[in-house]
Amino acid sequence: MTETVLETNGLTKRFGELTAVDHVDLEVEKGEFRSVIGPNGAGKTTTFNLITGALIPSEGTVRFNGTDITNMPPHERVHHGVGRSFQITNVFGGLTVRENVRLAAQSMYGDEISRREAMFRDKDSFDELTDRTTEILDKIGLRDRADVHADTLAYGDQRRLEIGLVLATDPELVMLDEPTAGMSSEETHETMTLISDVLSDQSLMLIEHDIDLVMRVSDRVTVLTRGQELASGTPEDIATNEDVRDAYLGGARDE
Amino acid sequence: MTFVADLTEQLINGVTLGMVYVLLAAGLSIIFGVMDVINFSHGELFALGAYFALSISGALGVGVGFWTALVVAPLLVGIVGVAIERFTIRPLYGRNPLYHILLTFGLVLIINDLIKLVWGTQQRNLGVPGYLSQPVGVAGIQVSLYNYFMIVFAGALALGIYLFLERTKYGMIVRAGSQDRQMVRNVGIDIDKYYTLVFGLGAALAAVGGIVLGGYQSISTGMGNSVIIPAFIIVVLGGLGSFRGAVFGGLLVGIIRTITRTYGGTEFGEVAGITLSLPDLEGLTIFLLMIAVLLVKPQGLFGNPEFQDEGGEEGDLLTGADGGVFTDSVRMKLGAAAVGLLAIAPFAILLTGNDYYIILLNRVLIMAIFALSLDIVMGYTGLVPLGHTMFYGVGAYVAALVMIHYTSSFIIALFGAIVICALIAWIVGSLSIRVSGVYFAMITLAFAELFYNAVFKFQFTGGSDGLLGWDTFFGIAGIGAELNGINLLIAGFEITPNIVFYYTALILAVASLLFARRFMNAPFGSVLQSISEAEERAEFIGYDVTKYKRRAFVISGGMAGMAGGLLAVKPSTFIISPDQTLAWIHSGEVIVMTLLGGMGTLFGPMIGAGVFIGAEDILSSYTEQWRLVIGTIFVLFVLFVPRGLVSIPSLLVQRRQSAESDSPSVGFDESEVNTHD
Amino acid sequence: MRGATNGDNDSIVFGSSRRTFLSAAGAAGTVALAGCAGGSGNETVTIASLNPMSGAYSSLGPAQRNGVELAVQQINDSDEFDYEIDAVYDDTETEAGAASQAAQEVVQQEQADFVFGAISSSVALGLNEFASDAEFVYFPGAAAVPVTGEACNEWVFRFETSTAQIAEAISAYTVNEIGSNVWFHIADYAYGDSVYNRTRERMQDANSNFTEVGKTESSLGSSNFGSYISQISSSDADAVILGMTGGDLVNFVNQAANQGLAQEKALVGPTMAFKSARSGAGSNAVGTYGGVRYDPSVDLGDNQQFVEAYQNEYDGVPGNFERVGYESIRLMVRGMQEAGSTDPTDVRDALEGGTFTTVLGDITLRESDHQATNPTWMGELVEGDGDMANVDLLSKVEGENTLPPGSELGCELN
Repeated sequence: MTETVLETNGLTKRFGELTAVDHVDLEVEKGEFRSVIGPNGAGKTTTFNLITGALIPSEGTVRFNGTDITNMPPHERVHHGVGRSFQITNVFGGLTVRENVRLAAQSMYGDEISRREAMFRDKDSFDELTDRTTEILDKIGLRDRADVHADTLAYGDQRRLEIGLVLATDPELVMLDEPTAGMSSEETHETMTLISDVLSDQSLMLIEHDIDLVMRVSDRVTVLTRGQELASGTPEDIATNEDVRDAYLGGARDE
Repeated sequence: MTFVADLTEQLINGVTLGMVYVLLAAGLSIIFGVMDVINFSHGELFALGAYFALSISGALGVGVGFWTALVVAPLLVGIVGVAIERFTIRPLYGRNPLYHILLTFGLVLIINDLIKLVWGTQQRNLGVPGYLSQPVGVAGIQVSLYNYFMIVFAGALALGIYLFLERTKYGMIVRAGSQDRQMVRNVGIDIDKYYTLVFGLGAALAAVGGIVLGGYQSISTGMGNSVIIPAFIIVVLGGLGSFRGAVFGGLLVGIIRTITRTYGGTEFGEVAGITLSLPDLEGLTIFLLMIAVLLVKPQGLFGNPEFQDEGGEEGDLLTGADGGVFTDSVRMKLGAAAVGLLAIAPFAILLTGNDYYIILLNRVLIMAIFALSLDIVMGYTGLVPLGHTMFYGVGAYVAALVMIHYTSSFIIALFGAIVICALIAWIVGSLSIRVSGVYFAMITLAFAELFYNAVFKFQFTGGSDGLLGWDTFFGIAGIGAELNGINLLIAGFEITPNIVFYYTALILAVASLLFARRFMNAPFGSVLQSISEAEERAEFIGYDVTKYKRRAFVISGGMAGMAGGLLAVKPSTFIISPDQTLAWIHSGEVIVMTLLGGMGTLFGPMIGAGVFIGAEDILSSYTEQWRLVIGTIFVLFVLFVPRGLVSIPSLLVQRRQSAESDSPSVGFDESEVNTHD
Repeated sequence: MRGATNGDNDSIVFGSSRRTFLSAAGAAGTVALAGCAGGSGNETVTIASLNPMSGAYSSLGPAQRNGVELAVQQINDSDEFDYEIDAVYDDTETEAGAASQAAQEVVQQEQADFVFGAISSSVALGLNEFASDAEFVYFPGAAAVPVTGEACNEWVFRFETSTAQIAEAISAYTVNEIGSNVWFHIADYAYGDSVYNRTRERMQDANSNFTEVGKTESSLGSSNFGSYISQISSSDADAVILGMTGGDLVNFVNQAANQGLAQEKALVGPTMAFKSARSGAGSNAVGTYGGVRYDPSVDLGDNQQFVEAYQNEYDGVPGNFERVGYESIRLMVRGMQEAGSTDPTDVRDALEGGTFTTVLGDITLRESDHQATNPTWMGELVEGDGDMANVDLLSKVEGENTLPPGSELGCELN
């Protein structure tokens, strides 16, 4: 019997007249690699934002490990175990690589730092935090570059750091928004390898429009069109699904 | 006269004033929407229009002159606007709107001083043709024909602008640009080319407003200052970038001001011996209205709800923290040397036989703490409180009130100032930080204006005169001495109250700096820095960004309150008055000091405060037009040294390196200044 | 305050004074040098003049300073006085903080023991306190009653006519000659309140039929008075007392003229006859009434010589602020002459209760509150030669009758 990590129920988001997401029901199981695909305007990114908390749904619920997180602000979702990475690399450019990771780790240590310590104790003097930071730097292979400013890193290394930030928040579910957008096939391969290495213990939910990629890496795939769920299933199921094929042919000019 | 006729008359008055606001706010709003420029100099362009009209009408005579002026003066101001955009604002596109505040603040000083230089400070009367200034009675309603003229003329102009925006290709691009610039760029239109047009148009509209109002009232050098704040309020109330919002907001504010003024304080009956009356809130209403609207509808009445999500496009704040040429230990040594010099400065100054420079330094120390407090929010959370002087002012009032009514101990007075200001910061922060940056700026401005207007209203704050007549006890619970009675002779040096205060303020300033440095290097401050780097990312690694910003704002408010409290404790302060502490210009000044010194460095703004006050003192003794000079310095500074004084050493190093490497670009151009962006 | 210099008036000032160039650059300074060459061995005394050259009262400050400069020039030129004036000037910015800073500078840095200036009540009150603390002779240019009332002190002497004195002139005339139904419109700040309180009280005393028909208040710095004007217009008031000055008053009068209020009701303002108000209101001021503190036409004391000298220097007739600046400086020097000393304590004692011939005739700086016993007039504004209305003096209140005892106004020095 598998455990459900994430569950959406009738998830709906309207912008004025436009219904971007229309009664979407999703279930992600523990340890699963789920992908959500669909043509442009299908509601992928909106769905992503509703789950991470960047947007609040018009209707429906989002449950995480049984807890209703529908109206929770993003930072609280992070503490419940929902991590996210950004499509466009979004790290703290003016800070060192180590400080980037340390900040993410510190966020999870919130309760162990007293108010007094938060104001007066040197941020680098928390041993547990330093160890955790080093551990993550090792995992993402940036330990030898730990003291340079993040914005001087090469693009690939910034992606690594990005994943490292997510990892440092110790998530159960990681939401990935087109992590390979704009990459060469080589870079794409590297990034996906990194993700499967580093995030092997986590449930993953990938928003992507690159079908080939999705088919390679996912356990299950959900296809959205016009805000609605068209089909869900294993990559093999999806590959043979007539509706999906029609939708993709219909939406091909958008790609 | 019946109530209905009376009310109608008041409504006509309200609409008349409202139409002037419409002309002002329309330009301001479109400029903001399209260009992201918070144009503080809009009020001075308004005044400039009236003064041009005065000269034209003076040369041609009242009849022809007035009509000629109505056409020619706005064109002239439009040209001035185009020049301002071309030569000062254009180089700043892509930078954070904060720099426009500094720039246009400099322009305010420049234009205002030029007006004084050319036309003098006398209040002037702009002649209006006799047939326009006749009283007209219709159905028992008696107002001047000029009122109707103002309504019709400004109304027609507003309609014309509306049609221009709605029906022409230019207008549609401008409108689209004010909603979503990126989208306009994406469809291949070079929106930047339209900026000049928009700015010129906005300036010309403001000028028309100035002329029309000048004919109704009179022309004075302060007229720009008196309309700029209401104009901002209207823009925010109506929704940034919304023309309809500007029209609606302008009329609403015009009417509300007129009605509250007439019926405020009216007693309308007695119930069980208690007189019922409408509260007399004239002067406070529009600020309360704006705060209320923003809390319910943060995008303003007609604003685009998605507008605030555009945040990602805002240019980076250029903090002075990076690219320093000095190592930390060198910096520490320089800091220690500076404090050491300050510690022995009084002895050198006493050799001149008077206290004056100590009094000046006392002011510097107070403003240094004030600027430091601003840097905590502005340099580390990216929030720009346009009304930061509320804490300085309230702190001064609280400390003075404590010393007048409760105890003369300066420690308790300062403590009271800090606590009350921190509390106010918590309340204001809770109401405004969840909303986006621009609204935070405007809500804090509204609160500052609210306090400014409130102290005029109350007996216990001394009204327009302010508070005076307190003694300061240097100590607590009877242990200590009366500050003004201190006069010791130590090693041949006379220790005056000013010197005692100097060391107190110096210790507090250094302590504040060390405190700020401490928490910036602690977990709390590291989160603030992550917020200023990438706010969204900070949220998604699990930080409650709003809470952290609010805490920083509370610390900042308390510290600014202490600066204000010190003003009241300072032995050379004899009165705490509204204009001295709560006028919006002081919020502008402290932002200027912070940027001048180098934002995001903590010590930079403190240096900025010293340089600002020193420059003011020196310049004002050489020329009456010192504001013109200081304004020009700000403008040049924003353009060429955006990271502030503390970045000058590294700029010099860069300059030398680029000269050595025989690079064609020398010195200050944007790409080099921006190395890390 | 000045611990380092008190009791040591001969202390040498190290370093050059940065502000000296200003006095040398001004008309006064150049003449001072010429005067030096003519006279012999006169003692030089530093007098500071702090005027609102910017801020809300920037339209009035220059007039005040012109008067000061003329006085300095005449004193330095004339053989009548044993003293040379080294005048230093600064800007109060119409704001207490800047004024305090400026005052510190002239008193500490320039060693001025005699200070004149300020127009705004807040600024003057701050300088009052400073004068008492640092012990220099201060002549305020503000008219608010508390300056020589509740906030008076032994170092403050005022030649500016106080609001209480003006109230005397307009109250009786208005209520007896114009009509007993009176509306009050005041700017909501200290000056407005003091006009309301004084005129109302004096009207009650002057005529038992006096009725207060209504009262409205606008914020200081208001620019639109349409609503009040409509309200007043629909009342049955005969006269309107306007307790406001500067831009507020001008804007009110201009709008009242446009809305036809001026034809229906008599507009009476304590400061309506001011040159600044008349120039701002243009022909709209014609037909209104004003309290008159000073009029260049009066034949009192040496006023006509003053007017002539002023015209020669500045090409125009002096107004109230010019005469306050002019005579305040002269009174300081007359005090020195009388005391035979430039020590502020001696001069203070000489001025207290002294009677001097001024441009307003012989006046006394009352012992009880150091307020000059200036006469005041009720004036009507009539068509002038140019755009500006002229003032017709209707009635005069003699100086000794303009003021209640100092104690009644809140000051009891002696």
